[in-house]
Amino acid sequence: MIDIKVPFVNLAASYKNDAQAISAAIDEIGSSGQYILGAKVKKFEVEFASFIGTKFALGVANGSDALFLIMKALGIGPGDEVITQPNSFIASAWTIVATGATPVFCEVDETLGLDPKQLLKLITPRTKAVMPVHLTGNPTKMDEIEALLSGTGIEIIEDAAQAVGAKFNGKRVGSFGIAAMFSLHPLKNLGVIGDGGVITTDSDEMYDKIRKLRNHGLIDRDHCEIWGYNSRLDELQAAVASIRLHKLDENTCKVRKIAGKYSSELGHLVTLPKSYLGAEPVFHNFIIHTKNREALQSYLYEVGVETKVHYPVPIHLQECAESLGYKVGSFPISEYQSTNSLSLPIYPELTDEQVETVITEIKNFFRKDL
Amino acid sequence: MSKNFLPEQYENDEKFSVQHNYLSQQFSDKDLILEKIKEVVTRGDFTLGREVDKLEESFARLVGAKHAIGVGSGTDAIFLSLRALDLQPGDEVITTSFTFYATIGAIVTAGGTPVFCDIEDDFNISVTRIKSLITEKTKAIVPVHWSGRPCEMNEMIEISEEFGIPIIEDACHSILAEYHGKKTGTFGITGCFSFHPLKNLNVWGDGGIITTNSDDMNLKIRLLRNHGLVDRDHCEVFAYNSRLDTIQAVVANHLLGKIEDITKARIAHADYLDKGLSHVSGIEIPQRNPEIKEVFHIYSFMAENRDSLWDFLRENGIDAKIHYPIPMHLQPAARYLNYKKGDFPVTERVANQTISLPVHEFVQLKDLDFMILKVKEFYSHD
Repeated sequence: MIDIKVPFVNLAASYKNDAQAISAAIDEIGSSGQYILGAKVKKFEVEFASFIGTKFALGVANGSDALFLIMKALGIGPGDEVITQPNSFIASAWTIVATGATPVFCEVDETLGLDPKQLLKLITPRTKAVMPVHLTGNPTKMDEIEALLSGTGIEIIEDAAQAVGAKFNGKRVGSFGIAAMFSLHPLKNLGVIGDGGVITTDSDEMYDKIRKLRNHGLIDRDHCEIWGYNSRLDELQAAVASIRLHKLDENTCKVRKIAGKYSSELGHLVTLPKSYLGAEPVFHNFIIHTKNREALQSYLYEVGVETKVHYPVPIHLQECAESLGYKVGSFPISEYQSTNSLSLPIYPELTDEQVETVITEIKNFFRKDL
Repeated sequence: MSKNFLPEQYENDEKFSVQHNYLSQQFSDKDLILEKIKEVVTRGDFTLGREVDKLEESFARLVGAKHAIGVGSGTDAIFLSLRALDLQPGDEVITTSFTFYATIGAIVTAGGTPVFCDIEDDFNISVTRIKSLITEKTKAIVPVHWSGRPCEMNEMIEISEEFGIPIIEDACHSILAEYHGKKTGTFGITGCFSFHPLKNLNVWGDGGIITTNSDDMNLKIRLLRNHGLVDRDHCEVFAYNSRLDTIQAVVANHLLGKIEDITKARIAHADYLDKGLSHVSGIEIPQRNPEIKEVFHIYSFMAENRDSLWDFLRENGIDAKIHYPIPMHLQPAARYLNYKKGDFPVTERVANQTISLPVHEFVQLKDLDFMILKVKEFYSHD
């Protein structure tokens, strides 16, 4: 058995920090009988909208549903195309397929974000939306994308699943496009204790539509205006999200400090994460690139440092994507990332000692390797 | 009237002495649940964890199905079942118009066109009318065991087998209900259950479960509920995210130990109301069938001057409800399907006359007597 000194995630430790507040909330909600779309969801929605800087926020069942509902509210469906990137989590693509539309992949750049320079040639009369993913919490170059699409009628939907709190040019991500989605999955920077998601928007029309769509299309108990879905954030999860939202900036500072340490110590050995000027990332993941990825990952595991790969198979090469007609070589940069990237442990509960261990062991590996 | 009713909130109005909503009384033993939740949370076990596995095993055993699969909600249970049948746009799904919106929302979301069938006096789909609605495009039949009363399944299964059209049971109301000794959720290719807070077996948020005897459906639905992933890094099919939260599974596991008693109480209360109301002229109670076990998620009957009775009962502190006044084919959302008033006479008559009284496990004998008294009083005025 390997003694794991630095686990990749430690949800139990993060729970310990809020244990009292969370147990009290669960106790209160359990006894109240208010379990769905009640006061806690309302409160969280107001807090979250104000945190991001949008007019509205809507709690939904999970991040994937958030993307799906945004696209449904925009009327995206069969025959339409939505542009996204191939190096993301699979949900960025399947939600497009679920609406009946076709995902069109755009190559990324060294920030892991959608490369605005590649975007123009992918736009067709069928393009209804562009969905940049702020992967790892690293903001995409929103000003260029906005400039490019301005006046085209093509909407921007931000996939900010991993980027709660991140800013671009001083503005929080999630406030750029027509609407944005955030995930509250337990592994996210703002994680709850089950599945959850949030949509932000400034549009009254989107707010009204999504409010109906998430709750069976109902305008009141007895009238159904449009066949909808059931995708609601549980009261319980909203209460946890509120508790954790208050600590988010503090936690972001902590992970940025860790990212700073990794960067100053490892830059001569591996390729460090890169950001655009004006981007303030929140490091949901800290992804390095190295030709020695497999060997480094095995070595680190042997010495008790857990790492992950986000993601070893890009979406366009997954079995489910076969019918889209992409092949190996379609997106060289995404493919390079999938074979060379490695995610180091990064979360607020990581101790200085654990961070030192990660750094020292990576240095040891390259020393041995030489 | 219900103009101030927001669908997002439960009415739990102090003005009612006999309340429909009992959730604030239900979890007096919540400490047992809280302890378990604490364990789960401390372990960091949040999605599809041990408690979900345990629930799936126990639920399958309880219902008598080979598999059970925890999902995000009852709506998703129907949606995922239809997706597992690979419904294509234009495919037709035969169902009832006398149901909750979610049955139809799930069919439409899955890509199907709902084809409505009228109901019988028991409020359930009229099996004899199903055959005439079958076309080449029919891909599934979705019967709803409305209010916890099983549909006529023998005949429906014959039709299903004759035409090779699978049945997906909307069993969201009917946990532990039986038809000829067999539980609902085991007749179709899948059975779809809801754990919504107002259901007989409820959790502290949204949740649902699918039962099936088919290994193939079991595997497909497990893929579909979790992003189509066969493992962390490989996606076999573009799918969905619809998982039962581990902490909600804790609540469900806790209540599984009580569901027999909850069901017995509902049946006993319904039985008591049946007897007390049987000779009241002006109301019509559905005929009970000794071959079936109803579990009374809703206790409803047909009432003359329904809206006046409703007002009268509410003025007298009885939280009666209408489930539901407007059938699905007449909803604004159904306009594109081109149905009109008069298409389904029984459905429309029931929607105009149905009224529901609380029969949950916290209703007391004096509440039942009071409800009987007030219904009688209303019709004696008449």
